Amino acid sequence: MHMADALLAPAVAGTMYLCSGAATGYSIKKVRALNEPEKIPVMGVMGAFVFAAQMINFTIPGTGSSGHLCGGMLLSAILGPEAGFLTMIGVLLIQCLLFADGGILALGANVWNMAFYGCFLGGMVIWSRMMKKGMSKRKIMAASVIGCILTLQLGALSVSLETLASGVTELPFGIFVGVMQPIHLAIGLVEGLITAAVLIFIYEARPKMLWRYEPSGQTEGKFSQRKTVGILAVTALVIGGLFSLAASALPDGLEWSMEKVSGSTELTAAGEAYETAAKIQETTALLPDYGFKTGESAAGTSFSGIIGAVVVIGLCVLCCYGLKLFKRKKQKEEAV
Amino acid sequence: MSKLQQAIDNLHEADREAGKRSGKSRIHPVSRLLVCVAYIGIVVSFPKYDVTGLLGMSLFIIITGILEDLSFIKGFQRMKYILAFVVLLGAVNPFLDKRIVMQTGGVTVTGGMLSMMTLFIKGVLTVYAAYFMFMCTGIEQLCRALRCLKVPKGAVTVVLLIYRYIIVLLKEIQRMSLAYRLRAPGQKGIHIKVWGSFAGLLLLRSMERAQNVYDSMLLRGYDGEFQYEILGQEKTGKGLGAVYAAGWIGIFLLLRCVPVFQMAGNIFLSIGQ
Amino acid sequence: MVELDHLTFSYDGNREVLSDISFDLKAGETIGLIGANGAGKSTLLKILAGLLTDYKGQAKIDGLDVNKKNLAAVRKKTGYVFQDSESQLFLSTVYEDVAFGPRNYGCVGKELEEKVMSALKQVHIEELKDRPIYRMSGGQKKLAAIATILSMEPEVILFDEPSVGLDPKNRRNLINIINGISGLKIIASHDLDMIFDTCNRTILIEKGKLICEGETEKILTDQRLLEKSGLELPLSMQKRDV
Repeated sequence: MHMADALLAPAVAGTMYLCSGAATGYSIKKVRALNEPEKIPVMGVMGAFVFAAQMINFTIPGTGSSGHLCGGMLLSAILGPEAGFLTMIGVLLIQCLLFADGGILALGANVWNMAFYGCFLGGMVIWSRMMKKGMSKRKIMAASVIGCILTLQLGALSVSLETLASGVTELPFGIFVGVMQPIHLAIGLVEGLITAAVLIFIYEARPKMLWRYEPSGQTEGKFSQRKTVGILAVTALVIGGLFSLAASALPDGLEWSMEKVSGSTELTAAGEAYETAAKIQETTALLPDYGFKTGESAAGTSFSGIIGAVVVIGLCVLCCYGLKLFKRKKQKEEAV
Repeated sequence: MSKLQQAIDNLHEADREAGKRSGKSRIHPVSRLLVCVAYIGIVVSFPKYDVTGLLGMSLFIIITGILEDLSFIKGFQRMKYILAFVVLLGAVNPFLDKRIVMQTGGVTVTGGMLSMMTLFIKGVLTVYAAYFMFMCTGIEQLCRALRCLKVPKGAVTVVLLIYRYIIVLLKEIQRMSLAYRLRAPGQKGIHIKVWGSFAGLLLLRSMERAQNVYDSMLLRGYDGEFQYEILGQEKTGKGLGAVYAAGWIGIFLLLRCVPVFQMAGNIFLSIGQ
Repeated sequence: MVELDHLTFSYDGNREVLSDISFDLKAGETIGLIGANGAGKSTLLKILAGLLTDYKGQAKIDGLDVNKKNLAAVRKKTGYVFQDSESQLFLSTVYEDVAFGPRNYGCVGKELEEKVMSALKQVHIEELKDRPIYRMSGGQKKLAAIATILSMEPEVILFDEPSVGLDPKNRRNLINIINGISGLKIIASHDLDMIFDTCNRTILIEKGKLICEGETEKILTDQRLLEKSGLELPLSMQKRDV
């Protein structure tokens, strides 16, 4: 799910930084207003926990593979969405620096795709709504699974949209989304189950640690609980299933509907989308393009250009090593 | 648990590099951060067919790597997770974009081939840039840079605390996994029955630790406002940092705007003739 | 300096972790606090540090009641060395961590540096001042944790199991350092040999009750008393018996 810098155009990355920045500003304001000085060490240690816990391999029964924990959902269920969100930013920053998981430019996008949906949708909307009338194991299970599936579906969709808007791939949007959504439906389910297992354990051991836990609110009407769960489950399935099914199982259908609407087929529609994306990129890019000028060179790549690059880089490497040798000699002389 | 071991190794490596440089680097961390961000931004802004221009951008990585004694191999090893997706996406381009953009000596190059190349190069260069930047600064200096850039103290503190406790928790997980594996031979990971308790117990212990950390802060006069400075290096002159930043960013812009290599190539070819 | 009068404490309102404890400690003393696991040693230390305030009875430090109102003043007078140094050292380098306390009390510049360096000197780790915490050994971390407390110049220092996890050489070093620190020290530990080497007075508690209080030598050589409370004679004493 982590996006690399290479997948993003500067304009898209910048936009995502703005979106995540707004959410960050809001969260900082909220956390400050709460004025709970004990939160800072808890945020730090919990962030480290999420980072470390993602290294645990949870075996998925019946398959050879393993799943991981969903950080955003877990953090909001313990710290609340705003503090959870800020903690997730720290985790994502360190992941990108230490592991090259994600990138510095892509941080805004990654924060949005993972932390924003996980904490604000998963935590603030789903967890908070479902736990309003008291907690139970079943509700924790339902909230975690639904929250994780929704989070990952929206995250995956955002990854597709951001990549598309950046114009780095020639893949038609339909196919891209059709691959991304079902994969993340499965991942979301597994992450949801793991997160639920951990949260249920906490609920049984130290319920007070959970956000929105109120000891007295245990006896609520079963009907309303079922209704909430039902509504949310249906929403999750609709959102998750819609993208997955519509795009992957019925590519013809999508093409057909596009043809009907726009009078052209999917490929040209996708092509148009790319051209618009490219245009946006060109107009928003820092600097104008060069290339396309001589007959031999196309779009900046040419035979002579590559020769030039090889020679210059070679010279540069030689100079660097020369400089280093000179430096070492000098150091040795100084040492003597 | 190879990823776990790799995480621990990466942390140790970052410490070693930061330790080697502590007090020696004369370039202000803000300059390094700015140069890194500018570099990545300019690299990804290259058009999708411009392989030559991107090759030019590799100069920064090569020079930094050699002069700062950083390992290109270790940097490359870090890329395997993140680049998998980039490679996957890029690899389909040659099949989808078959426009012929170049023909030299019987070799036909299509747009898809070039856009695949640029995507790979961008992926590699951006990861190297971030990796080298982090190795040259280390977390404390980086957080110092963030403070200089007016990031709130609380947020920077959380980042520092996360970094501080990652190694403690990773080692704890390593011990727990070892204890688990010794009693459950042949299992690859953690069985579904203990999913909750395995991570849950660690979480409870982490919370206890957080409580202790908070107590320890309270007992030393903490009242909600973090009173600390991130260790300053007297040697890092702002002047040198500014020259470093301005110099590199100027070079990046030049490489982005002017087809320097194209011109150089033409000169070399004309000399050859 | 430290006065406890009929102190009773319970975490959940039912089970008493400490019941009816009274004693009076003078400045300059070194007190050993011994008892089996779960006897209530750590809880007692936490009350003295002002971390737990919902107790019954009276606890006074330097004439000040330990309650929510006096918390800041009480905490300024007491220092607490945690059993787990890892939790005590939360900043990136030793210097920063040792400076954290004085800074919170408004200490800056030259004065701050002097305080930090003098604390580091007392535990003999001046050369580690710029070392990141995660690159230190267990023994070094313990000394650094003690330095973080010394830099605040507290009048009462509470040690929770200070010798746990230290090798013999580091343990000996720690004993020498503790003996070199002035002020009232309270050391909670199972390491009776260390108590023997550092404390002039010892308090024995069992299941939250004060069993006896007196000269260290007297208590630590009383085999029957120790065994009744789930403890054993210090190893050095056992060897002498053989």
